[in-house]
Amino acid sequence: MVACVHLPRFELVAAAEGSSLAQRALAGGALAVAPPVSADGAAAAGRLGEVSGAAEANGVRRGMLLGEALARCPELVLLPGNPVRVQELWESSLQALESIGAAVESGGPGLAFFDTAGLAGLHGTREGTIAAARRALGRPARVGLAPVRFAALAAALASASRRALVVGSPAHPTSARRWIAARPVDLLGYRERTAELVPPLRRLGVLTLGELAKLGRGELTDRFGEAGGLAHRLACGEDTPLRPRRPRERLEEAMGVGDAASGTALKRVLGVLVSRLLARAERRGRTLRAVTLSAQLVSGGSWSERVVFREPVSDPERILLALSLRLELLPAPAAELRLAVEGFGPPQGEQGTLLDQGRGLRLTRLGEAVAQVRAVAGRDAALRAVCVDPDSRVPERRVVLAPVADV
Amino acid sequence: MARALNAPRPARVRWGEGLPAEVDGEAVEAMRESWLVEDRWWEARPLRRRYWELIGVRGRNLVVFHDLDSGRWYVQR
Repeated sequence: MVACVHLPRFELVAAAEGSSLAQRALAGGALAVAPPVSADGAAAAGRLGEVSGAAEANGVRRGMLLGEALARCPELVLLPGNPVRVQELWESSLQALESIGAAVESGGPGLAFFDTAGLAGLHGTREGTIAAARRALGRPARVGLAPVRFAALAAALASASRRALVVGSPAHPTSARRWIAARPVDLLGYRERTAELVPPLRRLGVLTLGELAKLGRGELTDRFGEAGGLAHRLACGEDTPLRPRRPRERLEEAMGVGDAASGTALKRVLGVLVSRLLARAERRGRTLRAVTLSAQLVSGGSWSERVVFREPVSDPERILLALSLRLELLPAPAAELRLAVEGFGPPQGEQGTLLDQGRGLRLTRLGEAVAQVRAVAGRDAALRAVCVDPDSRVPERRVVLAPVADV
Repeated sequence: MARALNAPRPARVRWGEGLPAEVDGEAVEAMRESWLVEDRWWEARPLRRRYWELIGVRGRNLVVFHDLDSGRWYVQR
């Protein structure tokens, strides 16, 4: 069975952390995460992040335009978003779930899935596994269990906060399908690829997943493309297998920037962070493939940017060059700068050569590319043009396509 | 196995006044050149083609030929 763990309003709770006014409002007031601010100071499309239950009761919804939300609920309290804290808290929640032995797939902050099969050996029963997960999380969570991921999500959203809802079983998947048929189509909004289908389906009068399942997969695919076919599969109680994340190593350096809140001084702070990160013994000579540059802002909230290098690097100057361009995207002066490694490359992948081996290198790359193309599309997928009679009066006799000899 | 590049592809050609008026649904705007190719006359299947280099209404060059033996039209790059 797949277990879905849902931590409601995760983004909002992270944003409200440390603010007594926000904590009070969270308990019963109308609260929302303010629209993110871009580097030029404009709110990005002015759309709200997560909203509290009281705000929802006043008709405020996530993704609503700020002006409309304030018109509906003038007492709405806005909190600056804190993506860095959200990621930190979510990472610790995922690690807590992994600590009970679960192979966890993250569905984004506040939503996690894992397979309970195999964990009963560690925790006695399925109920024991769920109790262990709740203990490890240490915060209220809604839990749903079903044969597949999407049905488990529907069950978690429908469950009471202290009791897991179990829908169907692997032996009787049809009972899960019957149960899910009565659920609203809004559930498709939790899946990135099907989220945009919810408004048109509602306009067409399709309100439940059961009504959606009756429409037929072919018709839905014709109307909405691949997303329509996927929505039908989900409505029929089917889903793709879980893809648990790989446990990864995380290396991080942080530094308070003091007066160097922006400009050249901030670049110097970044330079120090890069040097410190490269000097860490845990790196073991490996190159960096991807990093996350983040900052706590003086005005409150935070900013984060993921940078994937074009090739694995360990040269501090090249890393600094790539990262300093991102610093210009900072929406406000920073109070603290943080640099974390998201992925490592091979050790010393960019070591130079003593002699010019350009031709040999190009041939090696070409050979590798040809081998990959052939592996994907067959032996005749990679051909080369050979001039056999360039002066022929008949065009098709001038050039022929011939197989590429093994490089 | 080697195969020819720029092999002729069958085309739908509507004949106009002395030159093709439409190629695969695209109207012909102007003609740049026309020439005759007679080749391989020493073989069992000689080659006799009337080539036309045309400009379509979309502004692209079209090269078509009329196979003078079979009477069919082909487009070729």
